[in-house]
Amino acid sequence: MGRTSSSNPVVGRGEPPARPRRCAPTDEPAARPYRRIGAFLLLWFIAVSASNARINVVTLPGRDTVQLTIYNSADLTLVKETRHLTFRKGLNKLEFSWANTLIDPTSVEFRALTHADAVEVLDVSFPPRVTNTLEWRIQSEFAGEVVCEIRYFTSGITWSADYVAEADKAEKLMALAGNVRVTNNSGEDYENAQVRLVVGVIRLVEEIRQLALQNGRRDERAKDKNEVEVKELFVVAGVPFKMKIAEAENRPREIIKEGMSEYFLYTVEGRDTIPTGWAKQLPSFRTNAVPIVSYYKFEKEQWNDAVIRFYKFTNDKPSHLGDEPLPDGDVKAFRVVSPDQLLNFVGATSVKYIPIGETVELELGEDREVLVQPTLMDWQKTGLHFDQWGNVDGWTIKEQWQFEVQNSKDIDVVLDVRRNFEGDWDIESRQKFEKVDASKVKFVLPLKSREKQKFSYELTTRYGTNVTK
Amino acid sequence: MKIKTLWLLACIACVAIPAHARVKLVALPERARVVVSLAHPDATLVEEERILTLQKGVNKVDFSWAGVNIDPGSIQVRMLTRPDKVLVLNTSYPPNENALVWEISSPAAQEERVRISYLLSGLNRDIVYKAVAEPDEKAMTLRNYLRLRNDSGEDLTDAEIGIGYGADFKKTIAAGEILEMQSEKIELMPVRKILTWDAAAQPWDPEYEKKTVGIPLSYVFTNSVAGKLGQHTLLPGKARIFIRTGDNVAFTGEDWVQLTPVDREAKLFIGQSRDVKVTQRKVREDKQNMRRNTGNAVVLWDTDEEIKIEIENFKKDDVSLVIIEHIPGYWKPVKSSHEFVKTDAFTIEYRLTLPKESSGTKKTTVTLNYNRLNVQGNEPASY
Repeated sequence: MGRTSSSNPVVGRGEPPARPRRCAPTDEPAARPYRRIGAFLLLWFIAVSASNARINVVTLPGRDTVQLTIYNSADLTLVKETRHLTFRKGLNKLEFSWANTLIDPTSVEFRALTHADAVEVLDVSFPPRVTNTLEWRIQSEFAGEVVCEIRYFTSGITWSADYVAEADKAEKLMALAGNVRVTNNSGEDYENAQVRLVVGVIRLVEEIRQLALQNGRRDERAKDKNEVEVKELFVVAGVPFKMKIAEAENRPREIIKEGMSEYFLYTVEGRDTIPTGWAKQLPSFRTNAVPIVSYYKFEKEQWNDAVIRFYKFTNDKPSHLGDEPLPDGDVKAFRVVSPDQLLNFVGATSVKYIPIGETVELELGEDREVLVQPTLMDWQKTGLHFDQWGNVDGWTIKEQWQFEVQNSKDIDVVLDVRRNFEGDWDIESRQKFEKVDASKVKFVLPLKSREKQKFSYELTTRYGTNVTK
Repeated sequence: MKIKTLWLLACIACVAIPAHARVKLVALPERARVVVSLAHPDATLVEEERILTLQKGVNKVDFSWAGVNIDPGSIQVRMLTRPDKVLVLNTSYPPNENALVWEISSPAAQEERVRISYLLSGLNRDIVYKAVAEPDEKAMTLRNYLRLRNDSGEDLTDAEIGIGYGADFKKTIAAGEILEMQSEKIELMPVRKILTWDAAAQPWDPEYEKKTVGIPLSYVFTNSVAGKLGQHTLLPGKARIFIRTGDNVAFTGEDWVQLTPVDREAKLFIGQSRDVKVTQRKVREDKQNMRRNTGNAVVLWDTDEEIKIEIENFKKDDVSLVIIEHIPGYWKPVKSSHEFVKTDAFTIEYRLTLPKESSGTKKTTVTLNYNRLNVQGNEPASY
């Protein structure tokens, strides 16, 4: 949030604090189309006792630094800002209020970064009949400037990952580029903020947005704030806002990645300004020559008669990846089709969170150039068994299935055909297959370009009293 | 033109301009090349090249569109001239606008050819086939067309249009225009004319029909090198079939070409023949080997069945006829007058050549005797 230069005293009794007029920094255009109000601070010293009066003086020490830690698993951002405040020895009151933002009032915290031993928060109160405001009573044994940190949760800022995969013509290697996109719909412009992005799943028992909209009015907070004592009015001069113009660099920002507990933290190098309503995309990584397998699957229970194309790769070092888990996000896949690097669109999908070392498959939709045609060639009912009344109570069905598979593409592929069976079944085939689980087998066939193959299997299924397992 | 690239004259000193000021300074570079890929059946990829004049430092390039449906998440820019030195730093998306702003750094004031790609909706394509059969119906000339309907809202000038096979087209297609381009012509490819009588679809006894029963007529060709095709999968599309009559042609019918991979047959059902008559009767249907339960109910049996198919060809030419029979459950053939092909567990085909004018006493008679085994009355007829 920018500084304000307004220092007009606004005096009232029990009225909401006036919304400060925000002045654009001198290096911004005067007629700026966006107008957001963020938190502002009011500091005064308690001089008068036993009064219900709330004397508000708008003096806004600007933010010196802002850090946004944005989570992607929940609508949650931790905002950490530092400001220089001037305290007097004794009891100080500090008011923090905001408007048109999605700050969770229950999350706002204050702490002194300098002279921390001498500055103690006695309590925090939410004044009645005043919205989006809280007051700290702070006991200071130090008179002078203190660097303070104010920390709170806000909703409305999100980040997401997206990827662009470009396979080579043979679909053996791909270039994978990851981006992160931060979207700010919080109602607040965060200027020159350090941006950190958290990859991981956290638990929230209440939605931050809901808390923000409820204005933090929870029963346990509903205290009577009529004991405010204003002893002395002191206007704290606004600390010049040290707007740090992001140094223009001739290279994309580096995104530093580090693991912590069950999470991964991406810290975007430098500082960014993301006005509310805007989104910003930054390149996260790009790596070439990731080995891929052009993998095709057929499973009637999943996709009917369609053959689905996958790019299969591993997030590890031999694949020129593996430095970090890849957050879940959208993927768009292309294939280079000409010497001058023109592309064909292959498909779009979402990818799940990919831990380091995991092999994943990008599901890219139906490909009609790979054909799988199953045909039931023979069906026999045998092994009849009769109960004591002469009714059929056991029988066995033998099915002879033939599969024609065809790769019409100009590249080699691997085809994975899966079959699901129920009951007491056995399968015999000259084709190698793998039992996936109690009811599923898969046949994996490498297919050269333009290659056709046939394979068959015999399925025996026992019913009624013929069941053996 | 609905898509605009605005080049913001912004060098390093201009970085202090907040991105959301949305000051569009200069509109400019025309497209130097447009490539449209229709290889994906459901998506159109447009790649356009433009030459940007960059200042040394950080440049802002504004890409915006109106009246066209672009997937914003698909938009990318790549440097072609100096991809290692001219870099995209970030992309910003303003609120409530179809636009984005790239920050591009350049080590010097210079021109850079860039390729902007995106997925565009509204450029619809159909595959259209037109075939002219020779009078003997043993060969036909096939033309394959790409018909584009440009409902994208965007004029595509001198666009290189590719459909995933064959040579690209270089065409201009204006917004709202429909353009049909011939992509292939195959002269005199071999074709077979086949009648198909399916016992599950056709009436068995024409004597009881009020109208002459027509037998479905198809042209069959193979997507193979021997069939003068075989270079790529034939995509689905409507085929209109004509027949050459002297210097003229007559329309004989139309059908949808199904997706046909290489070395597979395409069958175009174009009409009916009423000069061939098929009469099928089941001449025997006996239960045997019946097994009863203690309540004397039949719980299991076999059958002894025979069908007789009489076929008359009134035409003055030999005719290829396929007879399709469906036999549910577990069955075994006992005797057949003609060879048949088992196409699946419950289906057989007789592939016959009927001599010309083989009617009356010269008619063709097919008989098939088979047993159905272990019948309980709940056998599957198909899978």
